[in-house]
Amino acid sequence: MAADEQIKEPLKELQELKAALDRHAIVAITDPQGKITYVNDKFCCISKYSRAELIGQDHRLVNSGYHSKEFIRDLWVTIARGRIWQGQIKNRAKDGSYYWVDTTIVPFLDEHQKPRQYIAIRTDITERKRAQEAQERLAALVSSSEDAIIGKTLEGIITDWNPGAEALFGHKAAEIIGQSMRSFFPKERQQEEDDILARIGRGQSVKHYDTIRLRKDGRPVDVSVTVSPILDQAGKIVGASTVARDISERKRAEEEILRLNTELEERVVRRTAELEAANKELEAFSYSVSHDLRAPLRAINGFAGIVLEDYGSQLPEEGRGYLERVRNGGRRMGELIDDLLAFARLSRQPLGRHPVDTAQMVPAVLAELTSGANGRSLEIKTGPLPVCEADPVLLRQVWVNLLSNAIKYTRKRAPALIEVGSEEKEGECVFFVRDNGVGFDMRYANKLFGVFQRLHRAEDFEGTGVGLAIVQRVIHRHGGRVWAEAEPDRGATFYFTLKGTNK
Amino acid sequence: MSEDNIEILLVEDSPDDLEMALRALRKAHLANRIQVARDGAEALDFIFGQGAHNGRKIENGPKVILLDLKLPKVDGLEVLRRVKTDERTKVIPVVVLTSSKEQPDVQQCYSLGVNSYIVKPVNFESFAAAVAELGMYWLLLNQPPKG
Repeated sequence: MAADEQIKEPLKELQELKAALDRHAIVAITDPQGKITYVNDKFCCISKYSRAELIGQDHRLVNSGYHSKEFIRDLWVTIARGRIWQGQIKNRAKDGSYYWVDTTIVPFLDEHQKPRQYIAIRTDITERKRAQEAQERLAALVSSSEDAIIGKTLEGIITDWNPGAEALFGHKAAEIIGQSMRSFFPKERQQEEDDILARIGRGQSVKHYDTIRLRKDGRPVDVSVTVSPILDQAGKIVGASTVARDISERKRAEEEILRLNTELEERVVRRTAELEAANKELEAFSYSVSHDLRAPLRAINGFAGIVLEDYGSQLPEEGRGYLERVRNGGRRMGELIDDLLAFARLSRQPLGRHPVDTAQMVPAVLAELTSGANGRSLEIKTGPLPVCEADPVLLRQVWVNLLSNAIKYTRKRAPALIEVGSEEKEGECVFFVRDNGVGFDMRYANKLFGVFQRLHRAEDFEGTGVGLAIVQRVIHRHGGRVWAEAEPDRGATFYFTLKGTNK
Repeated sequence: MSEDNIEILLVEDSPDDLEMALRALRKAHLANRIQVARDGAEALDFIFGQGAHNGRKIENGPKVILLDLKLPKVDGLEVLRRVKTDERTKVIPVVVLTSSKEQPDVQQCYSLGVNSYIVKPVNFESFAAAVAELGMYWLLLNQPPKG
């Protein structure tokens, strides 16, 4: 009874110990060959296998394939020699999920000092491992960052220094950790560190702040800095993280853009001034032509008229004829001056853009032009004429010039045929004015739109040779094209396009 | 002819234009009381009774001024400005007579208070008619307020 009591007492203690162990650890026992002979509930729970599935199997059942062959062999060699093995193992549960266990394997030896069985006691460290891995990933991120990432205390003492910081500032981590950040601030920017630390102290951050810092060699570098408070687990501000990025390239590009812009602006100002000067000169020239050339012309014309009026009766017929020629010459020169000034004014006048209904404009112009052509046999055909975007006054002048030409150069035809319309050519609206008049030789077509260029003798057809030059200038100012097709004695067709014409 | 009975002051430097203007006025029977000034300074002396015209009374006319714009010494725009900014003379109708068709002139003349503006036509008939009509209009139809 006493002996019984003597055995019972330690056994009870052992059972209690085992119960406590089972509460804490994952326990398995294997035979010398590695066959599982015992598992506790925690083993089943973490591996998600039932006891029946585990007993008789070996640990390959939970092998994750994570560890190298050498690692596994080392484990077996160690315990087979009767020595305790300790290490961390990644296992795979039945459902494919992984878990980490901190493992101690204790071999129990028989009388020949050979392992009789192995007891493996494990602790689940999956969570710790995960946290560690996350931390390692973060650390790798920080190390591989090209940006300088610096940790510092609330007093500005450096605590962390990544390779990016090393590359940017030139200091090795070992020589700078424990030093103050102050040496990186240029003399005139020392106040910045006080401001930054004050903000951090209030829990605020400084974001993407472009500034200048000094390298180890004293050279300044343009950086964009973000400084944020670092909180401990209790939420207390314990330091600051500084991320600094080298922006010298960007700064250089910005300065280059600024320089180019300034240069461009200067050039525009200069060009505008030149243009204004040229315009003023042209205006002065026009004024001078208008004013000074007209005065002598007025005298020629006026006094020829006075002679005719006061002394005409005393002159022979021939003399009166010559005086008439003087007056006609003067009158013609007056017209030339007027047309030339009108032409010059075209380039200076600002271009207005409004929708113009050519289907209304053309008949109105035709009515005006043909009112004086009574007695002539005129046949006018009007085709489709769309709405277009143009300066109404200038476009009207184009129609007046083209249509009056058509009327003029068909004077010797009976009937005179004039066709006005538009057609679509290669997606573009082309207006045209066609007549069956005297036409012209296409060899001289290049002269057609020149100022004072005429393809007909003045006795045959009157004119100053400015009408088509005005047409061309107006069309060009609208971004369009103008051209003509003709044959001597078989009529002419004038075409023009305008930018922005609806189809 | 007394300086105080002048009805038309003709300010013109070009002898040709002057001759034609005088002839047109003669033909329109308006030539009896014309004073001619050959530059802007002379015109101002006459209008304000100063210099060569010292003592002439401003209130006595002229009834109309025909004014060329391009003048030696003081130009037509300046003469116009002086006449139109002086309380004593601003009622005198001023007809600007010039060969210029350029816009700035027209606008400047109107902003200075010109009463009429005519571009001298190159051809004689219309020039004569324009001068005669203008003179008639301002002298006969448009009596300026007395005193």
